Amino acid sequence: MNSRIITIVLAIGLGLSCVLLAFKLGQMHLPGNRQGYSPAQPIAYSHRLHAGEMQIPCLYCHFAAQTSRHAGVPAASVCMNCHKEVTASLGALHAEEKLAASESRKPRPITSPELQKLYDAIQRNQPIAWARVHALPSFVYFDHRAHLVVGIACQQCHGPVETMERVRQFSDLSMGWCVNCHRQANRTGVGGARVHASTDCSTCHF
Amino acid sequence: MMREKYWRSLEEWREASAPDRTEFAEPHVEIVSGADRRGFLKAAGFSFGSMMLAGCSRTAQKIVPNVVQPEGFIPGRAVYYASTCGACSAACGVLVKVRDGRPIKLEGNPDHPVSWGGLCAVGQASILGLYDRERLAQPILQGKTASWTEVDSFLQARFDEARRAGGVVRLLTGTVHSPTELEWIHRFLKTFRDARHIEYDALSSSAILDAHTQTHGARILPRYRFDRADVIVAIDADFLGTWISPVEFTHGYVASRSPSGTRYAWHVQVESRMSLSGSKADRRIILAQSDLAAFVNDLSDAIRTHNSSRAEVAEVANRLHGARGRGLVICGLQDIAVQVLVNRMNEALGNYGSTLETDRASRQRRGSDRELAGLLAELRDGRVDVLIVAGANPVFELPGGEAVAKAKLLVVHAERMDETAAKAHVISAASHWLESWSDAEPVEGIASVGQPCIRPLYQTRSWLEALSAWTGHPKAALGLVRDKWRQTIFPRVKPSVAFEQFWEKALRDGFVQHEPIPGARPAAVAMREMELPRTTSPRDGFELVLYPKTALLDGRHAYNAWLQELADPVTKVAWDNYACLAPGAAAKLGVAAGDMVRIECDGHILELPAVPQPGQHERTVAVALGYGSRLTARFANVGPEWIEARPTLNPKGLVGENAAPMLAFDRGLLVYSRSGVQLSKIGKHVELACTQEHHTLTVPERLKPASGATRPIVQETTLTQIRKAGERRVTEPPPPELWPPDHPYLGHRWAMVVDLNACTGCGACVIACQAENNIPVVGKDEMRRKREMHWMRIDRYYSGTPDNPQVAHQPMFCQQCDHAPCETVCPVLATSHSDEGLNQQTYNRCVGTRYCANNCPYKVRRFNWFEYSREDRVANLALNPDVTVRSRGVMEKCTFCVQRIQEAKIEAKRTGRQLCDGDIQTACQQTCPAKAIVFGDLSDPRSEVSRLMASKRRYRVLEELNVRPAVGYLQIVRADVPDGEEKEHG
Repeated sequence: MNSRIITIVLAIGLGLSCVLLAFKLGQMHLPGNRQGYSPAQPIAYSHRLHAGEMQIPCLYCHFAAQTSRHAGVPAASVCMNCHKEVTASLGALHAEEKLAASESRKPRPITSPELQKLYDAIQRNQPIAWARVHALPSFVYFDHRAHLVVGIACQQCHGPVETMERVRQFSDLSMGWCVNCHRQANRTGVGGARVHASTDCSTCHF
Repeated sequence: MMREKYWRSLEEWREASAPDRTEFAEPHVEIVSGADRRGFLKAAGFSFGSMMLAGCSRTAQKIVPNVVQPEGFIPGRAVYYASTCGACSAACGVLVKVRDGRPIKLEGNPDHPVSWGGLCAVGQASILGLYDRERLAQPILQGKTASWTEVDSFLQARFDEARRAGGVVRLLTGTVHSPTELEWIHRFLKTFRDARHIEYDALSSSAILDAHTQTHGARILPRYRFDRADVIVAIDADFLGTWISPVEFTHGYVASRSPSGTRYAWHVQVESRMSLSGSKADRRIILAQSDLAAFVNDLSDAIRTHNSSRAEVAEVANRLHGARGRGLVICGLQDIAVQVLVNRMNEALGNYGSTLETDRASRQRRGSDRELAGLLAELRDGRVDVLIVAGANPVFELPGGEAVAKAKLLVVHAERMDETAAKAHVISAASHWLESWSDAEPVEGIASVGQPCIRPLYQTRSWLEALSAWTGHPKAALGLVRDKWRQTIFPRVKPSVAFEQFWEKALRDGFVQHEPIPGARPAAVAMREMELPRTTSPRDGFELVLYPKTALLDGRHAYNAWLQELADPVTKVAWDNYACLAPGAAAKLGVAAGDMVRIECDGHILELPAVPQPGQHERTVAVALGYGSRLTARFANVGPEWIEARPTLNPKGLVGENAAPMLAFDRGLLVYSRSGVQLSKIGKHVELACTQEHHTLTVPERLKPASGATRPIVQETTLTQIRKAGERRVTEPPPPELWPPDHPYLGHRWAMVVDLNACTGCGACVIACQAENNIPVVGKDEMRRKREMHWMRIDRYYSGTPDNPQVAHQPMFCQQCDHAPCETVCPVLATSHSDEGLNQQTYNRCVGTRYCANNCPYKVRRFNWFEYSREDRVANLALNPDVTVRSRGVMEKCTFCVQRIQEAKIEAKRTGRQLCDGDIQTACQQTCPAKAIVFGDLSDPRSEVSRLMASKRRYRVLEELNVRPAVGYLQIVRADVPDGEEKEHG
């Protein structure tokens, strides 16, 4: 008789946890999957401003994606191409001008605090240690070149980065997600052209 | 019970069958416990409930770019710089692959006129010498680390003192052929009243140089042109393995022995022990070491008189006469009278000017033993005030080398704390050649640039910078090299461009060719009556022969783990030196492989394990030089640390024993053999790390069919058979199969052909593969357990009798079988077949069942029994970022360098061009000095590999198993045997 009660209790408990899990199952990922990951960066660089508002092309900074496996992150010298002249946002500059006019003095040069971090790092000859958002395990050898050359847009995998204030991992980036796209591309092509997206293991694992 | 035609060890020869030894056939210990199966499953079931799926979240990674990105530098993209290898004095041209600002791989420079794209095992391994925690990071002044300013001021004070007092200053180096270094050495020594530069080679060719003074009026080493020779007579000279410039000689040798060519050179090797060159010879004449001089004498007589009482001498003389101007007689004996006879022979046969070049002579060996002996005498008498030793280790390499410590001031310029540096008052910490600007002139008229590919990792200085600092005009080495080239080499090249353009082109090409520095053209002087070689009556007992190994040479690279782990091409023993004995002598002494013997000679004693070596003379005991170095003390912890681990080092805490004290000076020359040696059995036994019986492909005794049919793993043919009508093979229809045709190969189809006739067994491919694919070092104990990790191995087979066998070398690696027996048995599909014919190994899926390795008939799969990779920040800079570093429990094997294939395919896609034959070179193919390995696309009918696959000589190993390997082998071509000596083919 005791065993029957225990069985009923166990069954109810199991049923309850299954119901609760069912909701979560859709959002569950394998450990290590970082979809939605959006770490804080040492400098609050905004893609929304630069890639969205300013419309700077992705490949201006991440030029390595064309010629190397890694797209990489630009060196501080690339930032300085513009920021040797631009030291603060337009709004801040206008505000300083207005203030200066109201105080009857010349507007002072101002530097936004985030850009000050950049200038400090360069002065100390210290590279900026960005927090890596898209990181595949070390046994995966993804190559940007092969994807760029067939004309896949950056947004297809990285999402609408030009709307992101802080970069987050938009896609799953799991192996199943990659292989699905490869299979799809083999069937339907990319941008109207036929492609051969290999699904051999050694395409990415070696 | 039919004997296999090929045998790999004397045990196999005696028992006529291969011992059944694979690493996966070890009997397992039965674990008997109390629990039964049901109880275990219940416990397992309950523990499931407590399993947490919280899982591991990945640690936050950083991505760090440069502050200022250097021009042309893109992370992930490799750049190649041309430089010159500094691992030995041969100075082969190299291309250095640089990734992320540091060199990770060395390749031969395909255009370099010395090495022609090949790079030997020592050169490939020298990348490890750069990333070495045990290098001297700072100069050392009187036992304490110091700064360069302190060292410079100390030395300047002492040098000025020597200049004032007229002190005796000597500079001792190895062979120096760098024009800039010679210039600055001259400038430095000029400031002293009594200063001399003495060059020596631990592996000396001084006798050849001195003999040419007598016969040709100049102290030169001719450039040996094996590519022009039709008859090669080598007496005690391992020109394919260790003698002077093996990469260059191998290239020339293979060029003269092309079965599809119009001529095929005949090679006879006369020696007392089995050397690498001896293993390739068409004919081996085995003589006692003390009889070699008499052989030269007899040969010289036979050439003069066209007659000889010795049949073998007559045959050699006849062949040489039949190839006037296209013969080549070389001799490695350190005896001037013998070398004079050799010169006379070559002169009489008209070989000078064609196979021996004296107007563009070699500069790869310039050492003078006479001057060295003189210096040692000066040191012993305490007459030397300042001795500077640079790039040499006399205390370790020379008999009586400890005399260097008697100098009043000993300054040593060295990369690490070797025996000589340990005795120095001042140690100038040296930069590695990959960190230094330098140049080289291996052959007169070829000036080779040495470019650094990384800033010095530590506070070290290159030799040029040290010299310029001590001369009082410190200048960066780049400026010194440029100045020298502008003054001396640029005018000689007579280009039509300005110096800057010339310099840029020289850096890009890696070398320039120019008119040699004008000097007296060496010509044969009139014959004078020469004293004949002294035929000493042989003393009783054994004759000790000291030889360098292909992996270690004179021992300068004893710190290099890759080279220590490379199995010797002939004996297949690693991590040790030993006493090679003829099988008959070993039997008489009652010793088997591993039994310790004591070698006594004139009061020196060596205790080493014995190794019976087929093909060695009965009275010869051969011991390798280069072992017993204090640089090997670092290997105390090599290999995994586990409960049954046994030490790699011997009881003295070193690898091997130093045999250099057994060397001696005889009439001013360093000699490498002693007679009157006593040999006795000690009664102890050590287990050697010998790989010759690992991974045998032959059938174990209990599985042999009744007919006793043997497996044709190594196949050979003769020239006559090849030259019979038809070079193309008859294509037989493939045998029937049960496999569905699911490998259509619509695109590329990767395949490889290995020419066994060209392969010399040198092992460069093994080290290149290790460097390219991050293959770990496992240490001596794991090697004893057949767990060496080399993806590529060279199997060495003997055929014939142990007295004078023929030798075959066969590189063996994953055959990328079409019907791979390993693919079907993997429970997790970690190994599968790609669309392009590769058998791919996916490390992250592998769970370590090891069924695949069990099924592999070629036994080429390597399993990571332990975590062999080490956390060593400096050494791991040499790792190839394009290849996964495997952890414990994962199976690995040759991948046909799939990372190179992928890179080439993607680059072709990116630039929009088609892949051509030769765009993709596997690491082994690229480094082979003999160009024995050819990789390519079988789908391309015009590729080299397609052409060779259709060759008549092509066969597949274990073809009868119908696994359809993608690797073909070309049969070895043996010399036609004269009638009456038919050999049975097994």
